[in-house]
Amino acid sequence: MIESIIESLVNLLGEDWRAGLEYITNGKHMMWYASIRFTLIAAIAGAAFAVLFGLLGAALKQSAIAPLRWIGSFYVNIVRGVPDVLFFLFFPLAFEQFVEYIFSRTRCTAEEIASNAGSWPPCDAAQWYLEGNDYLILACVSFGIVYGAFAANVIHGAMQAVPHGQLEAAQAYGFTKKQVFWRFKVRQMWTYALPGLSNVWMLLLKATSLLSLLQIADIVLWADRLGAPNYLARAGMVHPDWRWKYYLVLFVFYILMTMLSERVFDWLQRRANRGMVEVN
Amino acid sequence: MKKLLLTMVLAAFATTGFAADKVRFGTEGAYAPWNFMDDNGKLAGFEIELGAELCRRAKLECEFVVNEWDSIIPNLMAGNYDVIMAGMSVTEKRKETVMFSDEYYPADPSRYAAASGDKFDFDNLKGKKIGAQGATVQAGYLEANLKEGNTIKLYEKPDQSVADLAAGNIDLLLADDSFLKPVVDGSGGNIVFVGPGVQIGGGVALGMRPKDTELAGKMNAALAEVKKDGTLDNMIKEFFKKGPFYATEEKSAMTMESLLKKINALEMRVKELEKK
Repeated sequence: MIESIIESLVNLLGEDWRAGLEYITNGKHMMWYASIRFTLIAAIAGAAFAVLFGLLGAALKQSAIAPLRWIGSFYVNIVRGVPDVLFFLFFPLAFEQFVEYIFSRTRCTAEEIASNAGSWPPCDAAQWYLEGNDYLILACVSFGIVYGAFAANVIHGAMQAVPHGQLEAAQAYGFTKKQVFWRFKVRQMWTYALPGLSNVWMLLLKATSLLSLLQIADIVLWADRLGAPNYLARAGMVHPDWRWKYYLVLFVFYILMTMLSERVFDWLQRRANRGMVEVN
Repeated sequence: MKKLLLTMVLAAFATTGFAADKVRFGTEGAYAPWNFMDDNGKLAGFEIELGAELCRRAKLECEFVVNEWDSIIPNLMAGNYDVIMAGMSVTEKRKETVMFSDEYYPADPSRYAAASGDKFDFDNLKGKKIGAQGATVQAGYLEANLKEGNTIKLYEKPDQSVADLAAGNIDLLLADDSFLKPVVDGSGGNIVFVGPGVQIGGGVALGMRPKDTELAGKMNAALAEVKKDGTLDNMIKEFFKKGPFYATEEKSAMTMESLLKKINALEMRVKELEKK
């Protein structure tokens, strides 16, 4: 497949291009292109979690029950204040320790715990080996928690922005409380929430460049590997430090993703505005 | 949420069971010619080939995983893999946490590399920017001996240190001779060796958790075999153009099996050449 594409491109551009084309389609580069999937999965799954946590956080924040309201405010205010990189490093490891703690309570015998005092986990059965995909899931959840806090704030504000008269009118027409919440408040809320959510999405999209911190072989890590200087012919093409070239490609990738996102949000906004009176 | 937690717990179960039958080797994958990623995106290098050979002889199923250098010992202890094979020199400090096998590469002096044309007074280094990879024996040496009056810069990855030397951000780079040699040779004269070699640390060996004595026994047995029949010397020669270090007089009394293997390899080579 790739060979035939190269052939046709060489025919089109001339023989000088062959080496370059073969270089950017070698196995290492192909793995780089394929690693975009981690970025996309993290962004999309992270966004899904963020909306979920956002709705939950917003619902808690305006709950009639005071303790729930406190939990909602605590979540939104504390998590928003923690740098995303820090939380991103903290959460997966803390979660792993927590799971291992649960395992150690159920799987380790008392003798094992006594004989392995000081080492963690106390027995092999409680060991949780984190691998690439586990890290990816944990990364998505961390993104969800961090950006969910921002989304909760946006959604909470948007719910407040829904004209009170609309809800009163709905109530007057005999809709139940639940129906009023879902069919009027949440339905109309999107119009006000989308501009804010699009901001949160942009932040989340940019944060996907942190995946390599968790040793996920994402586009940033591969760009690093590909651009690193190589002086050993056996290891592939000999070249000096080319990282800036690869980072430049990543710049372009992220800018393209941003432009694409803007389009999608425009479309979503138009959809959310259907049947709504022009809001100003 | 529940489903997700369930999948996570299941994944944890699956991986715990899995890790028991396969021996996992942790390596850096960025330290040519020891271990690196070739243009096909696959791990290659001296240690990848030697590791495969050791596992074949010890009748173990093995796989290599990539791990950053600075967390390579903690992640061995955490059980992410069972063996470190990443050009790691034996030191007293590391012996406190890691159990080492017999060496598979002799103690190798570290060398300084610099941009060609720069002159240094090695008896009295002052006001220089000196680089090394972090958490290495070289980093320890610089911190202990040359911190006064010089600036020490430590890098996460070995290739970053080379890139910074090439860019003129550091005056000197201290690293393993075996790593710097291809850099100097491939730099087209821009980077050269300077000054005397410095002997730091011992030979290079496999690192394992202290409790895995059975695995260490198997590895040492396999290492003894490859040393005795000259396989290791040949690999060292192929990758580093050095040696022989390990083969004894018994080399002449090679086993029938290894002779046959050699003949086979030669035949393959001849066929390859004919094709060309």
